[in-house]
Parts: sequence; structure tokens; C-alpha cells
Amino acid sequence: MRNVTRRNANWRKIFFGVMMTREIIFVFFVAVLVIANATVADARPVSYPGGWTMMFMNNGDANTAHLHYSPTAKYSVGYKFEHWRDRGFNLNAAQLNGLVKRWNEKDSQANFYVKGGIGIASERGTSNDDMAGFAGISTDWENRRLFFQYENRYTEAGNIDDFFGQSARVGWAPYEGDYGDLHTWLMVEVDHSPESEDSFTVTPLMRFFKGVHLVEAGMSNQGEALFNYVLRY
Amino acid sequence: MKKIIFMFTALMVSFAISAQAQSMTGTHAEHGDHDNHAHVEQPLVQGAQDDKTVAGDVHVSVKGLVCDFCARALEKVFGKQEAVNDIDVDLDNKLITIDFKDGQSLNDDTIRALIQDSGYNVENIHRVTE
Repeated sequence: MRNVTRRNANWRKIFFGVMMTREIIFVFFVAVLVIANATVADARPVSYPGGWTMMFMNNGDANTAHLHYSPTAKYSVGYKFEHWRDRGFNLNAAQLNGLVKRWNEKDSQANFYVKGGIGIASERGTSNDDMAGFAGISTDWENRRLFFQYENRYTEAGNIDDFFGQSARVGWAPYEGDYGDLHTWLMVEVDHSPESEDSFTVTPLMRFFKGVHLVEAGMSNQGEALFNYVLRY
Repeated sequence: MKKIIFMFTALMVSFAISAQAQSMTGTHAEHGDHDNHAHVEQPLVQGAQDDKTVAGDVHVSVKGLVCDFCARALEKVFGKQEAVNDIDVDLDNKLITIDFKDGQSLNDDTIRALIQDSGYNVENIHRVTE
């Protein structure tokens, strides 16, 4: 269960399955840091005061849904569901995200977040349920043309599984759109899962962002599709 | 499970301490640097109630205004204010223009506090007097 081989991941199981094939060439590459087959990119886990956010993240490892509400711009509370395909369990958890520090500059912004959740892990195909939790950090820096992000997370699914994962992203916007325009980003995500056989995964992806909608689609070097959707209102 | 409870608790305690520290910094800064944190805890000022409140549009240069989410945050927060008629966000120049309803306005301190509570900082405020 712990040494999961990602090559067998079946992209057809992915929510909102996208019609992508291995022929998709890796248009962008940027060498990046370290990173896991298990991290889900929770971009901007805290919204503006009174803001609701829905995030659906799908990659070679898991399908997740996260709904959160931000009473202030400092923290958000919400519900998280995770379906770990090869690890064989589901997680239902209450999640708390905190913005520890934001650095606002004239042309850029950087953030440091902490994230944690506590809930129930259920092993699929059995009646094995156990308390579970996760905790991690996330940090990012961006201006209107460049984006960097690093995040990690340790997950303990009771007596079912436990694992650590981390990921990093680099992004570049080919043009600067104004408020309300379609914003396009070319990104590369590197995931690192120390315990996995294929511990590094590289995923070139594109991000499209307009109004309250954000969509990301990509394909990893292991042939696994990534598809994320974020709605913020 | 003990590990995760310990980690979760440690993260949340560190977050709480950090938030408290920033809050205290903001309280001290209210007497000086207005770019620091300053929560609005009193009813928002509307109408010409002090010497900083002047009718007319207000241009605010905002630090950290780098994406549509940031712009939307400011639009939402100011949109809830009774005195505000409309807000325009210019990402290129990191500038917001606040259009007030006739005879109404918000003073500079309130505008700063609203922007800071949205997660951003004010660089400067310029009023276009009628």
C-alpha cells in the first residue's frame, strides 16, 4: 500500500476526465526543486473576507474536493474529501487554513500558509475506518508574469496509511491581461513522494483564469492527467 | 495519530501566535505607519465627518494587487459599503478608483483599513475633489 507504483494509475478514473494522450508534448520545462506523488496544489487556500471557494483537484494519485469559507483574509475553514486511488482509501475531513504572513509589494505578492485537517479515513472494500489527519505548509510568490510555489504535507490515515509529499511549481504568463480578461499561465509542477518507486513526477500544465473560474490541465511524464478547477465567489 | 495531532496543534498555535503578533503590530502602527495592519472595529465612516473625508472619486495605489483574485477581493469588500457606487480596478497600474454615491464618502483611515482587511496594503491615496 505504501510503495505505490504510479505507472498503473488509470486516468479514466479521474473526475472530469480530459481527453488527453501521451502525444501531448511537454512544451515547457523548467528544472525545479524537490517534490511527491501525493500533494495536491491548494492554490490560495484563504480567500477574501466572506469569500467561498470550491476546489476540485485531480492528478495521478488522487481526486479531491475542498469547499472552504474565509471569515477574514487570515484564515478559512472548510470540508475536504480525498479519494486516494492506489492507496485504497477515502478521507473526509474538516480543514483549517491559515495565512501566517503576506508580503505585499508594489509589483508582487508572497504568502506563507499553514494547513491542517482532521477527519475519518475509510479503507475501500473493507469496514476499516480510522481517525486521520494531515498538516502542511504552503508558500508562494508571484507577480503578473512569474509564479513560484512550494508546499508539503504529512498525512496520517490512522492504521491504513501514512505518507509525506511535497511539490513545487514554476509558472510564466505569456501576456498580462487586465482585470476580467482571460489569464493564461504555462506551468511546470514537480511532485516528490520519497517513499514511492517513482518518487519524482513532472507535470507541465496550462492554467486558464477568467472571472471566478480557474482551470488547470496537464499531463505528467508518467502519462497521468492533471485537471483542476477552482471556483471562487 | 499522535504525530498528526501534535503537528496540527503546533501549526495552529504558530498561526494563532503569528496572527496575534501581527494584530498587535497593527495596533501600534495606527499611530504612525498606516500601511500596517489596522482593523475596522468601529462603524464605517460615511459622509463628510472629518477633515480627511472629501466628496469625489478616490484613487488608491495598492500594494500586492497582482491578480484577478486580488482585484475581486477589493471589489467585493468595497461593494458592501453603502457609500460606494462603483469601483474600478486597474491591474496594470495597481490602482483602484472608488466612485462614491452623491454626498457620501469614506475617510482615508477607513479606506486603508478595508484594503488591509482584504489582505493588501495602501501605497497612497489621492482624492479627486469636485
